[in-house]
This record gives sequence, structure tokens and C-alpha cells, in this order.
Amino acid sequence: MRRGSIALAGAALTLSACVQTKQYADVQFAPPQGNYKLLVMRPDVSVGSVTTGGMVEPRADWTEAARANVIAALRAQQAGRGGNALILERRDGLPGVDATTVAELERLHYAVGSEIALHKYSGAYLPTKRGKGLEWTLGEDAVALGRKTGMDYALFLHAEDTFASTGRVALQVLGIAGCAVGFCAPNIGGGGQFAYASLVDLRTGEVVWFNVLQAGSPVAGIKMGDIRTTDGAAVMVERLLGRMKPGKAVARALKARQ
Amino acid sequence: MSLTRRGLLAGGGAMAAALTAGVADARILPSAMEPLIGPGYKPTDRDELGMWQQMARVEEEVAGSNLLINDLALNHYLQGLIGKVGGPAAKDMRIYLARIPEFNAVMFPTGFAVIFSGLLLRMRNEAQLAGVIAHESGHFLRKHQIRQWRDMRTKSDVFAMLAMGAGVAGGAAGIATGNMVQLAQLGTLLSLFQYNRTLEAEADATGIRQLAQAGYSPMAMSETWDQLIREQDASARYRRKKRDRGYSLFATHPAPESRMADLRLSASEVTLPGRAYDDGRARYLSAIGAIRPMLLDDQVKLNDPGASQYIVETLAIDGWNGLLRYYEAEVWRLRNRKGDDARAALGYAAAIGYPDAPPDAWRWHGVMLQKAGRMAEAKAAYARYLAMAPNAPDAPFIRQLLR
Repeated sequence: MRRGSIALAGAALTLSACVQTKQYADVQFAPPQGNYKLLVMRPDVSVGSVTTGGMVEPRADWTEAARANVIAALRAQQAGRGGNALILERRDGLPGVDATTVAELERLHYAVGSEIALHKYSGAYLPTKRGKGLEWTLGEDAVALGRKTGMDYALFLHAEDTFASTGRVALQVLGIAGCAVGFCAPNIGGGGQFAYASLVDLRTGEVVWFNVLQAGSPVAGIKMGDIRTTDGAAVMVERLLGRMKPGKAVARALKARQ
Repeated sequence: MSLTRRGLLAGGGAMAAALTAGVADARILPSAMEPLIGPGYKPTDRDELGMWQQMARVEEEVAGSNLLINDLALNHYLQGLIGKVGGPAAKDMRIYLARIPEFNAVMFPTGFAVIFSGLLLRMRNEAQLAGVIAHESGHFLRKHQIRQWRDMRTKSDVFAMLAMGAGVAGGAAGIATGNMVQLAQLGTLLSLFQYNRTLEAEADATGIRQLAQAGYSPMAMSETWDQLIREQDASARYRRKKRDRGYSLFATHPAPESRMADLRLSASEVTLPGRAYDDGRARYLSAIGAIRPMLLDDQVKLNDPGASQYIVETLAIDGWNGLLRYYEAEVWRLRNRKGDDARAALGYAAAIGYPDAPPDAWRWHGVMLQKAGRMAEAKAAYARYLAMAPNAPDAPFIRQLLR
């Protein structure tokens, strides 16, 4: 339901590729460096198993493990860039800000994020936003949160990972075996990663950077990452946030200086 | 082994039939509907644990939604009702009231229910409302969501394996199996919908059992369906359409008519001779009293005059009052067919005859009098409106008129 529209954006990134990211930035965006303060909004992580028939069965234990791993990986990664990250694990975890305010900002971001997914990733491109990089904002609410907390940026993160069950893998084996007799189903799919991250500048309220990650194999049973493990979570966070590109105007200015 | 195309097709039909068989749409007996969970139920199975974890987040969203009606006393009252008809899970279930003007209520797998405000509008008494809540509780008591999930998982697993197996076998024998696989897919789909209908019928049977045990008239549930059918008919008639019967092989719920008939039979089974059953009408009306004008207002503004008029008239079976007369007139005014203005004028005039007429009844009565050129009487009505609602948004305008 909630992740439907943004998940579609992931699907739009072509199914055949193994690991893909596609990022957009505000034309004036310069990746945060130095002593910035980052507020990470409650990361939305879910992990499930793909049944033989192709349904995703959510797994509580895997989800718990993955959420802890992703948070740890985020913390390590941000420390590596020199930033101070405050990672919200619950809506009421922000001193001086009530859970309702956090919830409302989460919902607002969800609505804006869905628009970005639709108009930047799913093909419904807007002529008025052409060549303008990323031009969306959370407005005054985000600025107010920044003023209240003294934070520079807010990061919204969603990650899901699924793994083919034994039955699904068996089905895949049968599909490949069938190739020998002329009934070929070599890639029934099942399992894979989908994640997105969105960076909001709390001084202006604007969404300054957005990235979607899709990692998976069309062959059920072949993993392209595993956020249930600490290493896998670190890889996912690095793929998603590691290579933040500056916006067009900033990149041009950098080039001119060289 | 030699396989023919015809043989395979027959096999597919048999497969489809095998998947649908065993779940006929027969009435489910309330006596068979023992609750499957006890007090303080917590899941232990892996799939259910996953479902509950996801639902915790959903409930957080629902609990913080700005659609909720935050009337403390009313929410307390609803919670009390689920306590009466919720059986062993009475203390575990949560109930949220959302301002959505539709006839509906939803139970989530972890035991929280969302009641739509349109339901409170339509219920004539506490027994009817308790019946709907008992039905929703039935879904939780009989573990419907996880059972449905498992049913879907098993059937999709079986279908995927058989389809792949058939493909490979067909490939080996040199026969295209597409038709057969499609037939099996249809069979799988149909059986999924049918399982859903079976669970709805189970919830009806469980609900009526809980309802009777709590001392409410078990006939209340079939009354509710009777009202819903008539309302849909009235709504369709106004639009010169036929009601969508909604019953097909792909329906998720049984047809209202068959539910009503089954509930009537079940009611007679669970009714104990000599026991006095309560409908709790007075309690119900006092509980929803504060929001009833809002409920009526939301409905009237849906631009569904057929349904709105039916609802007002149904509520008025228990007695007309100023509020109902006012909204009856509103339905006519907003419908705006030939002669409706005169009808509405009469309606407002009737409404102000009751002591509980809302301020707006006086306002519209004034407007209608003014239109008819009876300015002196209109001014008196406006004065009454201003006295009742001195801070109304249009109060300065009306004061100007009175000068």
C-alpha cells in the first residue's frame, strides 16, 4: 500500500539489471561535508521470504536484525564522512519534538517522495521540471523542525529485502531443467533488494537529493545483497548513500574551476 | 507414457475443480463457531509473527490519523461494546472511529478495528452496532487473516509448482500446455474468492453467537442487512439504475440477500425462548448524540439523495425529531428537482416545530420565508437563528438583513 508507488519506481529501473541506482539532485546541491548535523528519520526496513507461488511473507526476526544492521551501518558511514548523525528509532525519540510532528513530516515526505518517484522514475516526466534537477520541497514544516532541533539535514530511508524460499528455488531449478526439453523458465524471479533515500535540507525545506537502489537477480535463489548481515547492510548503505553526486550547477562550477 | 492435449486439458479442469471443491457457500452454524484464540493471544508461528510486526506499524498510522473522531466518551463507549461482544479477546481488541461517511468496518489481524462514521449514522440502536462489531470481532476470534494468508500461500504454491511441472511435462511430451495452465489459474483464483466468502460467513455466524450471548437481540444483524439492501435499492432507483447485486464468482463477500437470509436462520437458532433481549437504543442515542448532526451532514453532502432520504426515513421509524426533519429538508433542497424547493420549505417549517431543531433549520426556514415574500416572519426566524448561533460564520450578514 504505502510503498506501492515508490516500489513501482524501482521496477521501472529495469528488471534485468543486477545492482542499479539512479540519483537526482537539486541543481544547487553540494553533498554535505565537514561538521554537518544529520537527522535520520525512523528507517523503514522490512525483510521477507518469497514463497513458492511468489508471494512475499514478512519475517519478523529478519526484519529486526536488518533494521539494527542498517542503523549501525548508517551510523558508521556518516561518521566516516565527518557528520553527526542522530538516528531516530521511534517517532517520540526526538527531544523537544512530539511524535505527532514527526509523524506528520513522515507522511508529508511520503506524499512528496511518491511524486518524485512518479515524475522522475516512473516515466511521467513533467515538462516544467525538465533540466531543473530535483525541484520538490517539504516547505515550512521541515524548516520549523530544523529550527527546533538545530539539525542541518533530514534523511528519509526505506529498505526492503526479500529472499527466495526453498520452494521458490526448487521451482527455479525445475524451470531451468525444463530448458532441456524445450520448456524454458530460466528467470522466474524471487528475492531482491529495493531501497530509497531522500535528503532534505532543513534550512530551506527542499528535497535536495534522492536515490533509488534496486539489487536483485531474475534467477530465484541468487542473492545480490543481504541486509540481514552486518556486511550486507553496510554494502546496501554504501550503494545507496556512498556516492552522492553534486547538483548540475555545482558540478559545472567545480569543472570550471579545474 | 503418452500424453494427449485433451487429456492434459481434462487434467487442468480436474485440478481447478479440486482446488475449489470442499468450500461450498452453505450456511455456517453459529454452534460450530468456537473462538480459536483465548485471552491475551500472541502469535508464535513464523508467518503470523511477521504479519503482526507489519501490522504494528499500520496500527501506529491508524492511531495517529487525522481522520479519527477524537470524542473521548464515544470512543470509550465503542471500546465498551467490543468488550461486551468480543468473547475471549474482549480485553485485547482496540477500536478506532474514523470520519468516513460510508457503511463499513474493518478488522485487522492483530485485533484492532476501524469503524467508519457512516456506520454509526445508519445504526438504529446499540444492538445493530454491536452486531457489526461482533462480526468484526469474529474475524479476529477465528484468526481469519492468517488463515486466509495461508490459504493463498498454499494455493499459489501449488499452482506455481503444477504450472511449472505441467510446462516441463508438456515440453517433454511435445504438447503446449498454455490452455490448461490458464484454466488452473482461474480455478485457483475462484477458490481464493470463495475462501474469502466462507470466512465472511464464518464471521457472521461467530458474530451472531457473541451478540446473543451478550444479551442483544440476534435479529439485529439481519435487520442491518435488510437496511443496507433497501438503501442501495433506493440509491440506485434515484439514479434510474439497478443495484449492483455484487454477487459473482469473483465477489469477496457473500451477497447481502444470502447473508440476510442466513443471519435470520442463525438468529432463530441462538435465540433462547423466554430470555429478554435488549436493543439499547437510548444508550446508543446518547452516546452518538454529540456527533449525530455531523454524521447526517456528511451523508447529505455525498450527493446521493436516494440513499440519504432512505437513511433519514429509516432513522425516523423510531420517531421524528427536529434534526431528522431538518436533514430531510436538506436532502430535498440539495436534490433540487422540480418542486423540491417547496418541499424543502415545508420540511424546514416542520423541523422548527420540534424543540431540538438545529439553528440551521431556523436559518433556512427564514430564507424560504423571505423568498416567499413573507419578510416579517422571515426576520423572526433569522432572529431566532442568531440567538441560537450568535457566532455563526454568516451572523454579521444576517444581522445586516435584520436592520
